[in-house]
Amino acid sequence: MIAFRDIVARALNGPIISERDFELKLFVPTVRRIAKEYGVEYDPEILVPADDDQADQVWQAGLEFFLEVGVYCPDTERRITFTRDEVMCALDQDPGPIMFGSGVDRKVFPRRKPEDNTPPWCSLGAGGCAVSGEAILMSLVREYARNPSCNSITTPSLTRVDGQLIVAGSPLEVEGAIRNMVLAREALRQARRPGLPIVNGVATAVHAASHIAGLGYGIGSTDAMEIGAHHEMKVNFDSLNKVTYTLSRGVQIWAENGVILGGIAGGPATTAIVTAAYNLLDILVLRGSIQHPFPIHFNLRTTTSRDTLWVRSVSNQAISRNSWLPVANLGYVGAGPATKMALYETAAWITASVVSGGSIEAEGIAKNAHIDFTSPVEPYFAAEIAHAVTGMDRQEANQLVKALLEEYEQHLDDPPLGVRVQDCIDLESGEISSDFRKIYRCTRQEMIDKFGLDFKYPSMYL
Amino acid sequence: MTSQDGNELVKKIIDAFKRGEFDVIAALVQKALDEGAEPVNLLDNGLTVGIRAVGEQFRRGEVYLPEMMMSAEAWQESIVLLDPLLTADNLTRKSTGKVVIGTVKGDIHSLGKNIVVTMLKAAGFDVIDLGEDVPASKFVEGAERHHADIIAASALMTTTMPQQKEIINHLDARGKRQDYYVIVGGGCTSAEWTKEIKADAYGETAAEAIALVEAYMESLKRGGRA
Repeated sequence: MIAFRDIVARALNGPIISERDFELKLFVPTVRRIAKEYGVEYDPEILVPADDDQADQVWQAGLEFFLEVGVYCPDTERRITFTRDEVMCALDQDPGPIMFGSGVDRKVFPRRKPEDNTPPWCSLGAGGCAVSGEAILMSLVREYARNPSCNSITTPSLTRVDGQLIVAGSPLEVEGAIRNMVLAREALRQARRPGLPIVNGVATAVHAASHIAGLGYGIGSTDAMEIGAHHEMKVNFDSLNKVTYTLSRGVQIWAENGVILGGIAGGPATTAIVTAAYNLLDILVLRGSIQHPFPIHFNLRTTTSRDTLWVRSVSNQAISRNSWLPVANLGYVGAGPATKMALYETAAWITASVVSGGSIEAEGIAKNAHIDFTSPVEPYFAAEIAHAVTGMDRQEANQLVKALLEEYEQHLDDPPLGVRVQDCIDLESGEISSDFRKIYRCTRQEMIDKFGLDFKYPSMYL
Repeated sequence: MTSQDGNELVKKIIDAFKRGEFDVIAALVQKALDEGAEPVNLLDNGLTVGIRAVGEQFRRGEVYLPEMMMSAEAWQESIVLLDPLLTADNLTRKSTGKVVIGTVKGDIHSLGKNIVVTMLKAAGFDVIDLGEDVPASKFVEGAERHHADIIAASALMTTTMPQQKEIINHLDARGKRQDYYVIVGGGCTSAEWTKEIKADAYGETAAEAIALVEAYMESLKRGGRA
């Protein structure tokens, strides 16, 4: 595969184009033309398609789009471009088993196909949700780790250091990034799972300097750093700096990309193509060991709307059938903690992901837009669903996802906010409130009775 | 040119917006002017109606951000043709209000802000887009330089939200807080946060932001603040 130093050289010397022209003259017309050429169309009635040919067409469309458009570097106003041979070579060079964790928690991240019987990787946590205090962060991480199905952790992020609001780019961000890692690692020790990998790196860090600082305090070669591209198909120096340092430290990368449905990427069909194209960006530019996508609705700010569920399923099928880089799907639900709607939404996006060949990272709750509006129960439920739908065929999954959607779709534009974590969980013992327990028990039973799921393990929240 | 010819060109301008043929709009405006159309008529009954139609298509999920961006560019190109003629006729374009907008320092997210920019233009506002990663002082200086009515600040992350408060702090420090209506939005912001930092309004969605600033401008016309 082309060396990383060549990526940097291309960012510095590639073809010049303004950001506006990259978006409106190159990106938009190209993806729209390619969607037509490859006949990629969204069907709102088939959210988990069982059509291998369509999946392969989405992959091919993504590949052609990537070759024509490349990747934009806003810092140099240049494109990083690739030849077909370079891309095909990168796809041929499967690096072999991808492993995370240490000790008893060292595991191989599975490469799954649609309808695969292999259980998915379950990365559990807050999806970066902001929390108001260190005690909350530690309590949450302990609870994620208490789940035996948890394969890795995505930590919450701190909003304050020593009582002061963290300001991006300030010393408070550096200190917050370090403290985030130290606290998360200690919480994993308290849960007696010190080797459980942390895969979102430094949740509190925004800039490369803070990432680098946090990496020195608890992230090792058995963990992963999460490094993202920008909307859409853009990678700036800050991200390339993170990649440079992370590779130098021998740490693996979860390459994050949340294509915005309704943004520059356009509608569902073109959003699916761009999500597939990101797999190549993640291999070649961000040097990922894992693709970490979350196709998200521009207005609803969730990954559980009808169209984003279709994008999720189709792009997972396209990628898992054609690339060695496996997918850990990140999800954001609209409803808040301790609500039935959040559990329905969770079940829908997890099913669309797992049956389509992906693994999961669950999850952002209440759109991840409200401080402390998170809980360990929804991620726990997500892992339960992930195991329950493993091996399900796509037609059945389609019916299930549509039935779940019926339970919440009409509320997506105004979902219930739920309650703060400190109001539904005892932060010291991890006990959930009786109200929350009732909601969880009732919805879990409904999954068995009404939706026909078979949970493989007893629940620790019953 | 007969009024029927003029109306035909106005209809073509609106249709071009609706069909996404944005690259022909400025040429249609120029053609109409060459044939003697009234600039005010082209503006009020053509461009404004057309760009609002695109905003409605966007709201219904029929078109996406690229159409919004391209319609705003077509509008801007056409306004450049009309403004000198309006001035020559001792007319001024009726502006709903003037907004200085940007994404705060440390934050490079632009999508939400860009949607608001286009919808503001469609609603008849004059918009000064400061871009992304904008320091608090630049919001204040921009508002002063352009005699703005409104400052709109977007922040996606919890670590960049404090920069919205910095804008209020800078306004306070210059004794200018009462001169501007400050609306915030984006990612992790909320009504509670807006109250905490003493901003004037919170737009959870682009449509909500537009409704709020329109209501504010209406209240100004009535002689008070919203």
